[in-house]
Amino acid sequence: MGTVAANPLILCVDDEALGLQIRKAVLERAGYRVLTALDGSTGLNLFVDQPVAGVILDYFMPGMDGGQVAAAMRRERPDVPILLLSAYINLPPEVVQMVDFTVLKGEGPVELLARVRQMLVNRPGHIDRGALGESA
Amino acid sequence: MNLREFNRILRQTLFLPVLLLLVLAGFIIWQITRSSVELSALEHSNDVTEEVLRLEKLIIDQETGLRGYQLTGDSAMLEPYRAAASRIPMQFTVAHGLVSDNPGQMGRLANLQDRYQLWMGFAQGVLNKDPAVFDDPQMNQRGKHLMEDVRAAANAMLQSEARLRKQRSSAALGIERRELIAVLVSSLVVGLFLGIFTRNRLRRVSRTYDATLHEVELQAEEIYERRQWLQTTLESIGDAVIACDNEGRVVFTNSVAETLTGWTAQEALGRPLHEVFHIVNEETREEAENPVDKVRRLQTVVGLANHTALISRQGKEYVIDDSAAPIRGQGGEMTGIVLVFRDVTDARRTEAALIAGEKLAVAGRLAASIAHEIHNPLDSVANLHFLLADEGDPERRAEYLRMAQQELDRTMQISRTLLSLYREPKAPVPVDLRELAESVLLLLERRLVQQNIQVEREYNEPCVVEGFPAELRQVFTNILINALEAAGNNGRIRIRIDYVPAEEFRGAGVMVEVTDSGPGIPQQAEQNLFQPFFTTKGEDGTGLGLWVSKGIVQKHGGTIRIANSHDEELRGACVRVYLPARTLASASTRATAHVSQERLTSTARESV
Repeated sequence: MGTVAANPLILCVDDEALGLQIRKAVLERAGYRVLTALDGSTGLNLFVDQPVAGVILDYFMPGMDGGQVAAAMRRERPDVPILLLSAYINLPPEVVQMVDFTVLKGEGPVELLARVRQMLVNRPGHIDRGALGESA
Repeated sequence: MNLREFNRILRQTLFLPVLLLLVLAGFIIWQITRSSVELSALEHSNDVTEEVLRLEKLIIDQETGLRGYQLTGDSAMLEPYRAAASRIPMQFTVAHGLVSDNPGQMGRLANLQDRYQLWMGFAQGVLNKDPAVFDDPQMNQRGKHLMEDVRAAANAMLQSEARLRKQRSSAALGIERRELIAVLVSSLVVGLFLGIFTRNRLRRVSRTYDATLHEVELQAEEIYERRQWLQTTLESIGDAVIACDNEGRVVFTNSVAETLTGWTAQEALGRPLHEVFHIVNEETREEAENPVDKVRRLQTVVGLANHTALISRQGKEYVIDDSAAPIRGQGGEMTGIVLVFRDVTDARRTEAALIAGEKLAVAGRLAASIAHEIHNPLDSVANLHFLLADEGDPERRAEYLRMAQQELDRTMQISRTLLSLYREPKAPVPVDLRELAESVLLLLERRLVQQNIQVEREYNEPCVVEGFPAELRQVFTNILINALEAAGNNGRIRIRIDYVPAEEFRGAGVMVEVTDSGPGIPQQAEQNLFQPFFTTKGEDGTGLGLWVSKGIVQKHGGTIRIANSHDEELRGACVRVYLPARTLASASTRATAHVSQERLTSTARESV
């Protein structure tokens, strides 16, 4: 697939350092380039500065939670797809509606990668732009 | 009428008749004395008459002697004359003595004496004469006249005396008649009076008797009615009531008590209480102290020990809550014992279910954190597994395996901490409250981090007390979740653990103080914090957390208090839990879901 060849840039935000490190390795194995942030504000800064193709966001975080971070990102660049990752099932409905996908922690890397792929494919405009940026 | 009045009436009816009869007797005696005076006067008249008659006879004897001498001239004929003449002066003296009190008779006697002297003069003349001239008629005529005068004088006297006698006799008769009438009348009066008086008194006594009888009847009726009312009231009471006499024998059982004990009121009557009211300790199955003995010993109202079970005649078991009290007479002495009890089996089951439910609720409140704590490492492990599958580099593999182990260890720790909420030793064990607090904080860490709550810890050794760790963990989980929720985002919580030395009213122990930076407790909530179903959190709270916590702390012999903090920096609520170093709690006094749940299931099985 073109996506793999294009090496889209994924931003990963999670306060769990070890988990984040491992998730990064998984995504890199799948051919993505990965940026990581340990809290919401750092993640937002990277999101603004970098040509991010998609975001994997943890919901439960100190400081800004996933919902707040997603809202800020939507304000900044509404076309960038967001995948909300959570260990907790009872997420506020408005947050679930705002993001493109939700994945439960523990569903496994295969599921996660499938969702990420789907997320990037479903946003062709963005992919084009991303691909354009990548190719340029 | 009281007894004194009755006695007074008795005295009246005794003494008044006696007094009246005495007066009557006096009156009769006086009457008799009076009539005897009259009778002696009559006697006197008889005496006078008799003496005058004797005098007259003597005088006549004298005359007869003189006449005989005159006729015969024989001086021997004069013998009676002389005999009489010697006695006559003496007879006059006697008569004189008798009539000396009567001047009329005295005059008549003097007249008789004069006439007799005249006749004696004539008689002397005759004796001095020659008997030849005795037949001189003139002389005889004179003698006859003189004698007639004497006789007339004597008769006058006799007649006068007879008149006098007649007077006296009629006087005596009159007096006698009057006497009779007086006695009759007075007897009649006295009798009548006594009759009326006695009747009056008797009537009074009888009226009073009637009134008293009526009063007693009324009282008896009232007592009966009151008794009925009391009986009905006791019967209608929803609690079981058993009353005993001083020896502990059953005298009354109401219908609820009949149902619970399995004895009918009639069967139970007179039996010793411990036969009818058979109670044992719910846990140890030991015979519980007979409340009658306890009341008799303490002379006051006593409640039964906790966990008392009543075993009915049919062997059915009820958890009961009861109290026994002495029944006191008017003088304050104990006359019996009344026992009031109720079946709290259902209430106890409900309570146990609530406590068990609250334990689950605590776990539920932890669910968000726990899900995170378990899913995060699981997610990592799953990812590592995925990486390992395609990894050729042994160094990277080793690294991944190490990371996987690390994440698994974390999961295990969380799971163990969670389980320790349920696993409980049979007897109290040493519990390090610092470790306990830390393990609770571990479960809450995610939330603390998410809300950016700063936790300050001030731990001062030693922090070890005896107790049941799972129960204490439940207490501190409740307190810390409350603090965390009160503190809100970016809040602060301070946990202080201090050793407290023994004081006058409590032994040495450990004080755990949890203060938060929240808004504190509203004043109106303060009263109700430890009441079941009271919550300030609306739908999010069960309202049982502090109620259960208090139960657990009290079981350990400790205290729990909540107030608003006086600290300038932390102005929220401050919870202080004191736990004694040596606990009073024992396995048999445990009141939480473990034992109760067993009971719950066993009783549930019974009732099916």
